[in-house]
Order: sequence, then C-alpha cells, then structure tokens
Amino acid sequence: MSGPDRIVIEGIGAVGGFGCGISVLSRALTEASSSPGTFDLSTGSGTVRIPAFLADVSRLGEFIPVRTLRRIDRFSRLALLGSHLALADAELPEAERSRLGIIIASGYGATGITYAFLKSFISDGDICASPTYFANSVHNSAAAHISIQLGATGPSLTVTHFHLSVPSALATARLWLAEGRVQRVLFGAVDELSELIGYVRFRMRHAPPDTPMTPLWTEMETSIPAEGAAFLLLARESAARGGYCTLEASTTGSMPNSGVPFPEAGLLVLGADGCPESGGRYAAAAQNVRVACYTPLYGSMPSGPAFDVAAGALILKGGRLFPSPGAAFRDFPATVPAGGDPVGTDRIACLTLAEDNAYGLTTLGKLPDTACVRAREGRTSS
Amino acid sequence: MTTVEKLKAILVKDLNLEELTPGDIDENAPLFGEGLGLDSLDAVELVVVVQKHFGIDIQNMDEAKAAFQSVRSLASYIEGRLSGG
Repeated sequence: MSGPDRIVIEGIGAVGGFGCGISVLSRALTEASSSPGTFDLSTGSGTVRIPAFLADVSRLGEFIPVRTLRRIDRFSRLALLGSHLALADAELPEAERSRLGIIIASGYGATGITYAFLKSFISDGDICASPTYFANSVHNSAAAHISIQLGATGPSLTVTHFHLSVPSALATARLWLAEGRVQRVLFGAVDELSELIGYVRFRMRHAPPDTPMTPLWTEMETSIPAEGAAFLLLARESAARGGYCTLEASTTGSMPNSGVPFPEAGLLVLGADGCPESGGRYAAAAQNVRVACYTPLYGSMPSGPAFDVAAGALILKGGRLFPSPGAAFRDFPATVPAGGDPVGTDRIACLTLAEDNAYGLTTLGKLPDTACVRAREGRTSS
Repeated sequence: MTTVEKLKAILVKDLNLEELTPGDIDENAPLFGEGLGLDSLDAVELVVVVQKHFGIDIQNMDEAKAAFQSVRSLASYIEGRLSGG
C-alpha cells in the first residue's frame, strides 16, 4: 500500500505493569525503568509469591460506570480500558465510531473467568453454572463488550495464535482496511495473568527471585510473567486524523535460512522475553542489525509484541530512540543504540519468534510529512 | 448470621455489586428496577445463587416472582423451604 492507502496508527492505548496510558508508557521507555510487582499463588505447598507485571484497571471507571462493569471480567476490563485509552489518544469523535471494526489478539484468552466457570461447573454441578461466567468465557466476549460500549457496528474478531497472535491479527486488520470493509480498526492485544496462568508460569518458567529480565541470555530463565493490553487505532491515511506512524506490513512465516527478511539500516525491536530457548534464536536474528528490546519494561506475555509496536510508533513519532533497559543485552555484542539517539531510519520492525522456527514481523514506517500536515490541519479544524 | 445478612453478602459478592457493601442494601427495597436495580439476567443468576448457597432449586416461576420481590421476601422464602414449607 502507498499514498492514501497507507495504514496509519492514529492512537495508542496501553496498560500494563508500567502503568496506564501512552504518556506513562513513554516515560517508562525514556527512563528504561519499570519494576515488577508481586503475584500470590495458591499451590499444593502453600502460598507462593512470584514477581509479575500486573495491570491496574481502576481508570476504567473514567470511561464506564462501575455498575455497567459488574458483569465484565478482568480480561474484558483490560480490553475495554485499552480501547478507550486508544480512542481518547486519537481524539476520535463518537460520530466516527460506527464503521469501526474490532480485532483482539490474545495468546491465552480470558483464562480467569473461563476456569472460574469450569470450576463452578465441576464443584457445584451444571445447574449452578453461572450464566454470566459462561457469557464471559466465550472467546469473542471482550470484542463484544467493546463493540457494545462503543456502539461500534463493524465486524469483531478475536485471534489466538499464541506468540504470533499480534502479527496475525494485524495482518487481518490491514486486510479489512484495504478492502474498505471498515473505516477504522481498533486493534488490541490482551493477556491477563490469572491464577491459572500464574500457576503454569510458576511451574514451568520459574525465574530466580530478584533476577532482571535478560532477554537474550540463553543460560537460564529470566522471564517475568505479565498482563496488560495494548491497543492501536488504525485507519487508512486518507481517513486518518493524525497519528504516530504507518503500519507498513505485518507478516508471519517460517524463518528463512538467510535470516530475518527485514530491510537493512532500520531498527529491529526484539520481542525476546527472557525465555532461554528463544533467547539464542533472537540473538542469531540480531546479528549485524541495530536492535532494541523493551520487554523488561512490560514483562513476558504473548501480547508483548503489541507493546513493541507501541514503542516503535513512539520512536518514529518522536524521532528519538529509547534506551534498552540495562540487562536487556547483557553479554551480547549487539549494535544497541543509546537512548536519545536520533532514530536514524524511516522504518522499524518488531520481531516475534515462535515455536517451530516460525516468526512474525510487523514493520512500521515514518509518517510522511504531508500526512502529518494534513492530520494537524484536520485536528485543528475539528 | 441471619438469612437476610447472608443474602446481602452473597448478592454483593456473586452479582459483583462492587459499588455496594452488604450494609448499603435495604432489605425491603425491590430487587429489580428501582431499588437494587437488578435485571432479568440477575434473576437467572439469583436462581443459581439460591441453589448454590442454600441447596434450594427454584422451578416454579410464580414462586420465584413472589420470592424475588426483596431481600426480605427472598429470605422468608428460603427459610420456608429449608423448614420444609
């Protein structure tokens, strides 16, 4: 796509362990600082406390009455908060929400409410299964909640492709916009750290306490489980009212022998998240390119690549790089630009590696000056 | 704890009435519409709640309609069923 058919990221809404809102994310990126909290788990040997990046959804009350939220589970609350933050960031008027498509990407889905439903079913019998729990356990329920609350009448979809959920869903978003099926797409990646996921992470990926995330380190687990939501409001450039950057491409595939199919001289944002089995593969992909990695700021979750995209969009809009947090590249001789350096490229790609040599690559481009001028004029006159 | 007090606590927790405490609920106020502001989906949840916490299966909708007038009427209905009424 080129010219007015380019896709623009108009607004970003993000909530996670770093805090809530794009300005808070930007500050965390600038300061390369975000500390995990703790998450208490019930295990067979008592309560265990693990480090975790947890999201605070209390700001959702600014957008939706508390009574309205009572049947909405935590996963959907994360999604609703991210969606409202993105729309507020883009200053999209309510009148322009009708032809809005909703696409949610999630690696795990609404595990908290789904397993609460199953637990009630098993413990109390089918006659006591909560209809509200059941409704929220339906795979597309978060997208439905968003559509209902926003009055969006476009299509809604939830994509689950584990680590590749984000690039897969973004590819669909691009398709919807290219077809003219919708005027805008509200894309969001969501994962919640439910008790179930926390337990699984504790059993399968237990990092030593007080160990910072070291994404390219292959010798030990350093991933810290996380939850959050990152939303992007997408529109074709001809309809966009402003924005951060263009969404040039989003692809998935099997990694070719020649390495990441990414144009040279750009910046590669690595989705490496402290899992040792993928750390080596990320390190191999990072050879001979300028790389950055921001996962230590928001933690390890399948939706992480959407936060990488948000970081890339902020870099392209601001023209300056964010520093990769201190431990990101420990003992790895990568070409890592310092924080505050000029971005030095019109293109940033976000790389996600998955099982079986699969990869996802989302490429962002600098918003053309003409589009910026038109966007500014549009916002001024509105 | 009386049945009324137990019901109030259950309503707040199981119906996620996050803005209320059990003490905020007027036991004589209507459960639906004005009063506590519950709706038809809550009625279904209430049937489940009564089954789950008190072991009472409500199948007669006329009975349910009378019982679901207020916390007080629901408590009376539950106490009546538990005592074999």
